[in-house]
Amino acid sequence: MALLSEVKKDYGKLKNYVNGEWVESTSGKYIDIENPTTGEIIGQVPMSSADETKAAIEAAHEAWWAWRETPPITRARVFFKLKEIMEQHFENIARIMVQEQGKTIDEARGEARRTIENVETAAGVPTLMMGYNLEDGGAEGIDEDAVISPLGVFGAVCPFNFPAMIPYWFWPYAVATGNTYIIKPSSQVPLTQNYLTKLVEQAGFPPGVLNIVNGSHEVSDTMMEHPKVRGISFVGSTPVAKYIYKHSAENGKRVQAQGGAKNSLIVMPDAVLDRAISNMLASTYGCAGQRCLAGSNLIAIGDIAEPFIKSFVERSKKIKVGYGLDESVNMGPVVSAKAKSKIIEYIDGAEREGAKVLLDGRKIKVPGYEKGHFVGPTVLDNVTPDMKIAKEEVFGPVVSVMKMNSMDEALDFIHASPFGNAATIYTQSGKSAREFRYRCQCGNVGINVGLVAAMAYFPFAGYKDSFFGDLHGQGQDAIKFFTDRKVVITRWF
Amino acid sequence: MVECDFPECNTFGSTIRFALELEKGAAGVYEELANEPHAASAAEMFKALAASHKKRGELLEFTRQQKLNEMILEPIQDIRREDYIIDTKTPKGVDVKGAAKFAAEIEAKSAKFYLDAAKIAKNLMAEAARIMDKLGKESLANKAKLEAL
Repeated sequence: MALLSEVKKDYGKLKNYVNGEWVESTSGKYIDIENPTTGEIIGQVPMSSADETKAAIEAAHEAWWAWRETPPITRARVFFKLKEIMEQHFENIARIMVQEQGKTIDEARGEARRTIENVETAAGVPTLMMGYNLEDGGAEGIDEDAVISPLGVFGAVCPFNFPAMIPYWFWPYAVATGNTYIIKPSSQVPLTQNYLTKLVEQAGFPPGVLNIVNGSHEVSDTMMEHPKVRGISFVGSTPVAKYIYKHSAENGKRVQAQGGAKNSLIVMPDAVLDRAISNMLASTYGCAGQRCLAGSNLIAIGDIAEPFIKSFVERSKKIKVGYGLDESVNMGPVVSAKAKSKIIEYIDGAEREGAKVLLDGRKIKVPGYEKGHFVGPTVLDNVTPDMKIAKEEVFGPVVSVMKMNSMDEALDFIHASPFGNAATIYTQSGKSAREFRYRCQCGNVGINVGLVAAMAYFPFAGYKDSFFGDLHGQGQDAIKFFTDRKVVITRWF
Repeated sequence: MVECDFPECNTFGSTIRFALELEKGAAGVYEELANEPHAASAAEMFKALAASHKKRGELLEFTRQQKLNEMILEPIQDIRREDYIIDTKTPKGVDVKGAAKFAAEIEAKSAKFYLDAAKIAKNLMAEAARIMDKLGKESLANKAKLEAL
């Protein structure tokens, strides 16, 4: 079918958004933004300097007190306005994501919806940030209150896989509660955030309340080290999450740092196979496997293994790969040539270690998109727990099938992993499901849901090396992360 | 004749696109039938049906934007597009009976598409399934009205 139109062919040189103005970077350094499907260069993003970052921090700090004094209901109204503007631009937001990230239009629309849902949730701030009190809580005639207060300037360092949504796990909650904010978008996919910030500008946030500084580690390090930044939010790989957590904490910051994952999907003998497989296809190949909730290890328990593998492979073969602006495409490319090489290395390595390649996506050709970074759906059988492919995050459309004898064995395997992001069980047994959710040491647990993606009003959780910090993004956790409790004890003479 | 581009229905988006093409095609056919001199006695009804199909298109656009849920965005592998493609080459010079018969076939195919999609969508598209079901039943009612002419 015909492709949906691209919003623009070339987005030119991006600017930073500081203190309510779009400013050209003074660094003079730019890198190209590539469309991973076509290989075309669709813009350039600046690598801003430490000084430019400091200027944004100062602007955010300057804007803070007036914004903090703005009543919560007034702050909420700006978010209502933003939601309306985002709805009007919904399709453009989605199509830009397809262009720069490679995901399909359905996935991009799904992400745009979730982005808006975070704005909607944050707009509930007058209720969400209410404090509490106790008459005579101190003593007779002495009342005690806990007031929820904002803290100042916060910042986020964002990944490439969800260009719209992930910054919105954080900044709407920070700003709604009266803080000001700086986003460093991924330099691989800065266009969506650039577009969204133009909508933020239209919504009427005062200058300095939200700022965008494009760049690389120089921007991140400056935010982590600057005394006027109170906290950092991060999503990305585990090694970088560890670094961000440690470095920010050393500098006295609050931190929430989401790391990598290796998620298992367990198929019990009583699973409804047809429905389970349909759901697993979305979990494993959605966003070409480039998400921290992607199903990666498929664990078949007992006799179900054989029919499960046969059917999963057959249905994986039907996944249509191509440009995400074709609405009938199920899976797009991975984000870059480097990502593709890394994924292929993992498949090659698994084969050398003894895995059997049942479906091979390494040499896929997508007519018309010869420069695209495509990896087709790949299914590896005979994978054992000691293999590298079973333990490390691949971040691509590659699944490893393992056969085990019981849920206990599967849970032991899951718990041996340093990661603890997500796990799912497919079963019709309430007892098995209850036991799984109770015992499973992962932050996001699915019962017949392979993509355990918390809605905006729940935290996006994660255990072990999948999350560093204590308060997560989204919902009440985010409100707590961006505020503190001030205790006031009152006596009147 | 209204040009329609019916996609494969592999995804939520392409299934909604298919439905949008059905609505565009049906609305176009009714507009042309409303101008048929030998079917003038049914012109008002055809105009109303054309307007109704345009409105259904708007509902589908709304559904695409508001009712998709990333968590259950599963591939669709059970809808054969060939079974539901409608004929939008409006016959010329037809009388009321001929026009109604032609339109009733469109409504029958639309109804089948929506009701089949609703069954499949029940697993995959959550709230969208209810809308598909409603549109399917509406098409069946339209078919009955046309057959009564």
